[in-house]
Amino acid sequence: MRMLKKVFWFFVAIVVIATHSGVSYAEMPSAPNDGCMKCHGQPDIAAVARNKSSYIDPVKYSGTTHSIIGCTACHDRVSPGHPRDGYLPPKAVCGDCHGPVNEEYSKSVHGAKARCNDCHNPHEVRLPIFMSGDEINGKCAKCHDSRKTIQSHSKWLPQAELHIDSLLCISCHTSSKEYVISLSIESRTPGSGTAFKMATFAELAVLSNGANISKIIDQNGDNQISLAELRAFNHHLRSRNMRLWGMMTPEVVTHNYQIMVNRWDCSFCHASGSKAMQKSFIVLPGKNGDYTRIPVEKGAILDILYGTPDFYMMGSTRSTALNIIGALIVAAGLSFPVCHGFFRFLTRKNRKEDHHEA
Amino acid sequence: MRHNEMVYVTPLPVRIWHWLNAFGIVTLCVTGLQIRFPDYVNVFGAYKAAIRLHNTAGTVVSISYTLWIGYYLVVARSLIKLYVPTLEDLKTGIFRQAYFYFLTYFLGKPNPHHSTPDSKFNPMQKAAYLVIMLILLPLVIVSGILLMYVAPLRELFLLLGGIKMLVGSHFLLACCFTAFLFVHIYLATLGHTPLAHFKPMWNGWEEEVIEDDTGDGAGDAHSDPKPERKDMV
Repeated sequence: MRMLKKVFWFFVAIVVIATHSGVSYAEMPSAPNDGCMKCHGQPDIAAVARNKSSYIDPVKYSGTTHSIIGCTACHDRVSPGHPRDGYLPPKAVCGDCHGPVNEEYSKSVHGAKARCNDCHNPHEVRLPIFMSGDEINGKCAKCHDSRKTIQSHSKWLPQAELHIDSLLCISCHTSSKEYVISLSIESRTPGSGTAFKMATFAELAVLSNGANISKIIDQNGDNQISLAELRAFNHHLRSRNMRLWGMMTPEVVTHNYQIMVNRWDCSFCHASGSKAMQKSFIVLPGKNGDYTRIPVEKGAILDILYGTPDFYMMGSTRSTALNIIGALIVAAGLSFPVCHGFFRFLTRKNRKEDHHEA
Repeated sequence: MRHNEMVYVTPLPVRIWHWLNAFGIVTLCVTGLQIRFPDYVNVFGAYKAAIRLHNTAGTVVSISYTLWIGYYLVVARSLIKLYVPTLEDLKTGIFRQAYFYFLTYFLGKPNPHHSTPDSKFNPMQKAAYLVIMLILLPLVIVSGILLMYVAPLRELFLLLGGIKMLVGSHFLLACCFTAFLFVHIYLATLGHTPLAHFKPMWNGWEEEVIEDDTGDGAGDAHSDPKPERKDMV
């Protein structure tokens, strides 16, 4: 019965997500969790209950799928005397609802190394499309030290640091597929010389003068970024100490962690062809720590200069216009020997008579 | 009357540099083609092999270029004399040479320029080599080195307009070199025999055809008897 109830709520959640695609979870109606959040949403509960995990950040929780199915979907059978009776409500096992994922993950090389909760806090978890690339990689970095990761990859991967900055770990270490380019806005304090970090909602809100932050790039508000809008946005970014940072991100995420043999072959990404790089999104931070994404006009990644000035994938994001210019230069060079050689052949007798080739 | 005379125009260090450079640049062009068009071109097997070979050839050409410019500037001290066109070259020399290549050559007239140790290149060669060696090659080397270290040099990339600016410039410069290769190799066959200009780049000696009859203006400059060997520095 309990299982059936969870499956029911799971399907309810799927239906809600499907009918709200493109909308932040934070904008979805929350389930009636108020009774629980009245206490568990207070930061001081951790001290009172002597348990750090007792506190649930209401903002982050409201952005999760789990908030839609409600607290009691996982913590059923809360005793009437809770919390005074000292009886802790049971916790659901992730596999109860996420059976196929659980099975897939258990079989992977990662399965015995970490539990679901080690990577996904069930009170904060969001689908990858509502997360930034840095945030997803941050979960791996909790155990896998970034410096050591770069060192180990440098043994075989050219420009390992660049690759690790521009890819999700799961792009190569799972069979995730359907790659898109996620473009996020990064900023830093002017003159600080520090590294760029993902711009916060507050920073972008300043730029938009209080309007919806998507307006700073989606000027006409059609929920689609045209190439002209992208160029205009990039033009202004430089003066604001900001940049647009691209990451190759899978749309369909799997949990079968392993060393993918075909990822040793650079051509898996670099020879994927320009058609594979047509789909891109601008990722914008939301008020509640979540992210929304706005689709960008096809081909923006391949624009010569101002589409994505700091994102380039050798082999795959080459500009057709530049290819044509390059081909014309080479053709001009080739045309000289061809044309001159032709006339040289026709007039060869003139030089023979003179006993002088040149 | 004519007679042939051997002139030593290309010293050994320059020849070594030339062939090292030639081999390096051809390798760079072919590997570069695979790097940019991996879905169409696969000469070296794995993509990574093409990248590593490209980087290695680029490093060899960069070192070779540094030695070349060091040799001409410090040891031979003849860079300006050999590679910078004179005012006379710009006023008339280039046009006279172009006139020869595009018209009088076909009529069987002799080349107005004859290589000597002090004037190895004709005015058009001087202008072309000046652009190639002192502008395009340094630019392609610098852009190539930057592209080998994208993450550490990210700040520099931002100052220069982004990675696409660098990649685009590097690609177009490479196209210029490819175009130059076709023209360069073809023009080298325009000697008094098709291999006449290739031989001095192999053994250093160029066979010059000298007009003994001084009635021809083109032969005036070369009518004086020359020593059999003139060391070119």
